Amino acid sequence: MRRLALVFLLALPLAAQQPRLASDFEIAQMEKQLAASHDFEAQLSGHLNLGDLRAARNESSLARAEYQQAAANAERERIASRREGKLTRYATATSYAGLAQAKLGRDARAYELLEEAARYASDDAEGWNVYASAMRTLRHPRKAVSAARNAVAIAARGDRKLDLAVYQHALATALIEAGETAEAERLLVTVTESLRSSAFDSLRRDVARQESFEIYSSARGDVAAYVSLRSRAGLRLARLYEEQGKPDRARAEYERALEIRSDDVTALSALARLARSDAERERLYTQAFDANPFSTALVEEYRQYLRTHPNANADAASTGGQMRRALGQLARGETRAARASLDALLARFPANETLRALRRAAEAAPAAALPTATPAASELRALLDSFERLTPEQRSALDQAVYTSVVQFEGGVFESGTIDGVRFRFSEPTRFEGEFDAAAPLRLTYRILGVTRSGDADALLLEPVRLESLDVEQRR
Amino acid sequence: MKRALLALAMLLALPASAQLVIATPRGVVAAHDGRIELPGRWNAAGVAHPTAIGSDGDRVVVLDALDNAAVLVEIATGRTTRLHTGETPVAVAFLRGEPYILARDARVLEHGERRIALAADPASVRESGGRLYVYSRAAGTIEEVDGDRVTRRLRVGPFASDFEVTGATGYLVYPRDGRIRTIDLAAMKATGELTVGSVPVDLTFAGGGTALTARLLAVADPSAKRVWLTEGTQSMTKAVARGALRGVLGLGLFGSGGSLFPTGVDRVEIRGRSWIAYDSSSGTLYTFTRNKSSVLAKGVAPGAFTLTRTGVAWWNGTSVAEKKLQ
Repeated sequence: MRRLALVFLLALPLAAQQPRLASDFEIAQMEKQLAASHDFEAQLSGHLNLGDLRAARNESSLARAEYQQAAANAERERIASRREGKLTRYATATSYAGLAQAKLGRDARAYELLEEAARYASDDAEGWNVYASAMRTLRHPRKAVSAARNAVAIAARGDRKLDLAVYQHALATALIEAGETAEAERLLVTVTESLRSSAFDSLRRDVARQESFEIYSSARGDVAAYVSLRSRAGLRLARLYEEQGKPDRARAEYERALEIRSDDVTALSALARLARSDAERERLYTQAFDANPFSTALVEEYRQYLRTHPNANADAASTGGQMRRALGQLARGETRAARASLDALLARFPANETLRALRRAAEAAPAAALPTATPAASELRALLDSFERLTPEQRSALDQAVYTSVVQFEGGVFESGTIDGVRFRFSEPTRFEGEFDAAAPLRLTYRILGVTRSGDADALLLEPVRLESLDVEQRR
Repeated sequence: MKRALLALAMLLALPASAQLVIATPRGVVAAHDGRIELPGRWNAAGVAHPTAIGSDGDRVVVLDALDNAAVLVEIATGRTTRLHTGETPVAVAFLRGEPYILARDARVLEHGERRIALAADPASVRESGGRLYVYSRAAGTIEEVDGDRVTRRLRVGPFASDFEVTGATGYLVYPRDGRIRTIDLAAMKATGELTVGSVPVDLTFAGGGTALTARLLAVADPSAKRVWLTEGTQSMTKAVARGALRGVLGLGLFGSGGSLFPTGVDRVEIRGRSWIAYDSSSGTLYTFTRNKSSVLAKGVAPGAFTLTRTGVAWWNGTSVAEKKLQ
């Protein structure tokens, strides 16, 4: 068996462990490839890539559809090549059929097909590389290590340096997943140094000439493979350094990855993690979200960041900016606003499961409860988030209830303000009898009418009953 | 559209999970759906992914290469013992009543608690003359195991698809080269090679092996859609003694015209007058004679068929089906 002509299967991180770039541009490129080229290789690599890109965006139903198409194409090729007695083609198709089944999570069928391919072509390095990739997909890293070792051993007998680097990278990836990082680090250093060496000068010139930057899991041609491999190997080495507590080395490798592709989401989010200031961190997160707004790992990482920085800036109009805004709203407990933001995004990306998961999180509030007579901020915030879920009886009780809180008005008029950070607004500016300092905290007795907007945030709509000054002791 | 439907139909015809069957003196044992059973006698918990099976007549061992597990069953009682194996158990052989499990990705042969280290990519284990012989594909070596240690090692060439042993002769099948290499296991020496067909993949023994006749080899060649019958050698010494090292005969069973099978078969098994071949791409099981072939069953998983004392048995999706061939 030989590698599908000009197709390099590159080891990519498992989606749950690390994000990878999945831009609209790359999806569009792959869809174009599928529309333009109808040969087996183009169709197979196209569907596998699209599946991986969709999976990286957490669009698993779309990813699954692509993998099913790849599996069907590979099965057709198996049958056709077998009928024609073309057993090299048969072994290749069988191997990729196994990979597609692995991507679909059908482990027994995947194993059966991969073993079948190995029986016909155990001398083929790429066959073992595919085998390793499938075993990684099925979370069997030690089996992947074994298969990848075979690929490396076979490729080392030849003179294709790029092939060897691809397989060494796959082996390193599997070793990391098997917890054998020392050998993985040695291999990654070898690969990254090799790719930067003069042996690849000519290929680098081609990369520059073609302005190639896309990163794929199944790269077609040496140029695409070189770009993807150099990026992935560098990122993986950087991550290893980061995990070993070597931030400077890690930063240097991440920055090298950005030289290849300036919007690499993995590098950007890692550099954000390693940033030396909040300003630098926010700038990098902004770029990372613009590169892939829906990366699960990036979203999780950013949510961690928001725990200590809940008011992080998110004023961009881009999809990434809208995602950051929604995450900020969730972090601040503004689940109603978060739902609105996420709904707007879901209208544009209805199949995106990152959005769906966040939407579910925004929905999963406890049963609505009425506040106590002098409510804490948390009670008011909970009411704000769950107002639509109040029962008719609760609504009726709320209409009758009167509450008292210390409020801070805004803008010098008695129209809107905050109660311990929770925004409120009256239906119109109100005049109270007596003299009050609108800039000072005051005691407000009020009824709650509903939920409205104040500026860009949700707010309680209040009907004032009475306003009082606080005595000095209370102000303290 | 028609072709797409056909492909889909063939996909659906193959079972979603693996099944294995093996003939034993007490009947055909089947591993399927997480169970191991001797129909009508016992039914025991098995493994999630049955990927290989072996028996010495008293016990059956079912391997799960994905979960690194094995279940050993006493055939008489159905009593089971569960084992955790090294990475990727792919084959089992019995020596003096003891099971030896070949864990390919751990590169070891396991005998109880003993771990016998092997060369890269050990793929097959066979017994001969009270010793075990392991062929490692990537390393291209045969290692002799005696007394739970590797006693001798022979480099024979990597990437064979099948390793079979009869008497003291080993046969390795090389699809890429279209060759079969022979090894004298007693001397641990390569003794020669045969050129057979276009892409030989699987080999079995079809008889012969007397003082006057060499072993007859049946070789499945999916490229030619034929099973080739050719003479092997039991050893160079014997061949020379016969004065007839005839080497490559390349004898198609049915002359040079036409194909023996409608599809390419890549597995062949022979026991007495029961001859069967299997096409793993479509899951089609055939029976054949010197004159004709006929389809026995379709949608059979690899490993889900076995030769019995009187014929052939296979898993038909719900139970063990049997057909007498002799």
